Amino acid sequence: MSQPRPARWPLLAGAAVAAGAAGLALLAARRGAKNARLRHGADAGNARLRHGAGAGNVRLRHGAGAGNVRLRRGAAALHLVARGGARYAAGAPRLFAAAGEHRERLRQDLALETAQDVAETLGAMKGVLMKLGQMASYVDEGLSPAVRRTLARLQDSVPPMSAELAAGVIEAELKMPPERAFARWDPEPIAAASIGQVHRAITLDGRAVAVKVQYPGIAEAIAADLRNVALLRRMLRITAPSQDVDALVAELRERVLEELDYRREAASQALFARYYAGHPTIRVPAIIGELSTSRMVTSELAVGARFAELAGWPQRERDLAAETIYRFVFRSLYEVHAFNGDPHPGNYLFHGDGQVTFLDFGLVKHFTAAELAPLMQMARTLCVLGDPEEFRRAMVTAGFLRADAPLRTEQVVEHLAVFYATIREPGPLTIRPDYSSAVVRRFFDVRSPVSQYVAIPRSYVVLQRINLGLFGVLGELSATADWRRIAEEIWPFVRGPASTPIGEAEAAWAAGRPAPQTVSELL
Amino acid sequence: MTGNSQANATGATGLVERAAAAYVAGIGERPADDGFLGPASVTWRAGADLSAPVAGLRALLIQALHPLAMAGVDQHSHWRSDPVGRLAATSAYVATVSYGERAAARRAAARVRRIHEHVSGTDPVTGRRYAAGDPALLLWVHAALVDSALAARRLFGIAPSPPEADSYVAEMVVAAELVGVPAGLVPASAAALAAYLDSVRPELARTPAAAESAGYLLDPPGLDEDVAEIWADIAAGVVAALPDWACEMYEFSPEPLTPARRTEIRQALGVLDALFIGEPGVLEARQRIAARVRAARRG
Repeated sequence: MSQPRPARWPLLAGAAVAAGAAGLALLAARRGAKNARLRHGADAGNARLRHGAGAGNVRLRHGAGAGNVRLRRGAAALHLVARGGARYAAGAPRLFAAAGEHRERLRQDLALETAQDVAETLGAMKGVLMKLGQMASYVDEGLSPAVRRTLARLQDSVPPMSAELAAGVIEAELKMPPERAFARWDPEPIAAASIGQVHRAITLDGRAVAVKVQYPGIAEAIAADLRNVALLRRMLRITAPSQDVDALVAELRERVLEELDYRREAASQALFARYYAGHPTIRVPAIIGELSTSRMVTSELAVGARFAELAGWPQRERDLAAETIYRFVFRSLYEVHAFNGDPHPGNYLFHGDGQVTFLDFGLVKHFTAAELAPLMQMARTLCVLGDPEEFRRAMVTAGFLRADAPLRTEQVVEHLAVFYATIREPGPLTIRPDYSSAVVRRFFDVRSPVSQYVAIPRSYVVLQRINLGLFGVLGELSATADWRRIAEEIWPFVRGPASTPIGEAEAAWAAGRPAPQTVSELL
Repeated sequence: MTGNSQANATGATGLVERAAAAYVAGIGERPADDGFLGPASVTWRAGADLSAPVAGLRALLIQALHPLAMAGVDQHSHWRSDPVGRLAATSAYVATVSYGERAAARRAAARVRRIHEHVSGTDPVTGRRYAAGDPALLLWVHAALVDSALAARRLFGIAPSPPEADSYVAEMVVAAELVGVPAGLVPASAAALAAYLDSVRPELARTPAAAESAGYLLDPPGLDEDVAEIWADIAAGVVAALPDWACEMYEFSPEPLTPARRTEIRQALGVLDALFIGEPGVLEARQRIAARVRAARRG
């Protein structure tokens, strides 16, 4: 890779993906350039992205639901610690009895039977588009209905592998059929993964596991398609003509290529699992290393409620789940120096009392301490010290803002405050469903005088998915918490006291664990 | 979509949308029967082949080289004022005959025959009389389509084995019969098809109308630059799939189809297919076909 190039500010990975997808829709729309309905729809989507007011803080309601969060304080903390031990209670005995429990409706009647079926379904760019689409699909705002439809359809369009094809992958990887590699093997997949599917099994030593099996040939097909930078660039350019499409394409390629090698995913998940071992509410299924290869990942089986089911849970439960997700993201960033770039609703399982299992570590970005320091400095100067000039200096140092930008510091702060809206002030605050999209709109607000002087250095591009992914999920939950106090607990430059029952349980857990390792120490 | 799209003289208005609507309409949810081809046919098994757009465009380019066929289209159809509507109508017809139940295929064919009754005249280039219902012209149109499907699949899709190619040509005979070609005249094997195409070549010519329609198809006006580039890849695929004699007649000098270029063209076709899948009902229609094909394969 050449010297990292700063991308323009709107070039965050997630939004860029959305832009690529929008490019597709525009392709459809503009192919019929005179088609009034479609063209109007696509342009309207653009207009929303570019001209929407980014007044994110308006959408945050201070003071809502204060009572909920502090409910059952001391007792809850103890309860949480106790629950932490019962982590994989739903285990082997229920494994095969529970068929259909969380089984997605997979079109087994359309199953791909040969490697050629896989190549036909996911080759010729469709795997790449699906991958990009998967990253963008939960960012509703800014996508025209036509784009949303195309992306969703692409994901729906991939049938599962037949039992024989999946078994063939296991056999190629482990040099023995699944019936010998495992004590029990469920030939019917329980879930689709973007470039694979998940099977349940019981290991020879009796552990219930989930085995993610990659479609044969898919890594090669996607890698080959990602080499056609010209086509990717064209698709992105159609909607994002003014942006640095090259930096964008480079970052997307790198992330997707990483995701194709499951060994990297297994290493990342093992890192997270080791760090969070014993945590009161954060669960990361352990990796079974000897049953994981570049094309299969075996981890402990987790059973819990899906994101969609959370809609029917009491708000208190949703708030607790949101708090755990929030802690997970920032603890991982500051302590593990890693960020899971795919905070997708489908990657969580919920167990009540704020307990959340985190799945799918395919898109993890690892940071060096030097890369994190400027981010911390920015949060510290703006939120803790309240020193706009220092904040501005920190932004310049980090490469986010040009040193010679002819802007007043208030303009800079005003433009960027939306990104810090949840943590600038203490106090309970509800994250509304449209907060994430307001942040996204701010990225695209090219009319702002500030936008031409701000950029995202390439190594931080993936971090912008916090705004798109994390806040998208928290907004879906309409989650209320005192996010600032939670952030203070986690910020290495504050190390504030526990502010919630989960925080107390977490403090007890943290006190008893050794210093975290980074991935480079583990690998 | 199909009802209120505004026709226009320049843009490829809503081609994907209208082709998709036509495709979906041709594949019923609860068909009374398996139609004339059925789930064991090569046609159904290759139903989602990426190469279909290349096949369609190649067929049109070859069909246009018959002066009488071209004159009929040029003088009677509204392809100039609504080229997309014309293409969509053709793809609707092909979808219905290929996948629709027998009654629907018969109705669609009867409609085409009725329209053809009123299409006749004199070709300004050769001075010959033509009638669209002439089995000789219908056979030419049929043969160009069948040959193009095979050629496009060989280059950009799943190449048919020689027995599959023979089966495909044979199973398509019924499509020619439906529009009024006596079955005995229709080639029923790949070799017979090739021999037939050779036999017609002395009658072919690139008339001004043919050159104009080919120019439109390969480079539709009104596309924006980046879209036009993707379309150019597909057009290059069409030219690459043409037989040498057709390239010579059109005075195309096809670029060499290197493996890398072939991959690029397939990728452009993949993007187009993704758009097609994004249209309402397309995925479900494909899945209905695929499920019936799988069920037939399992017996």
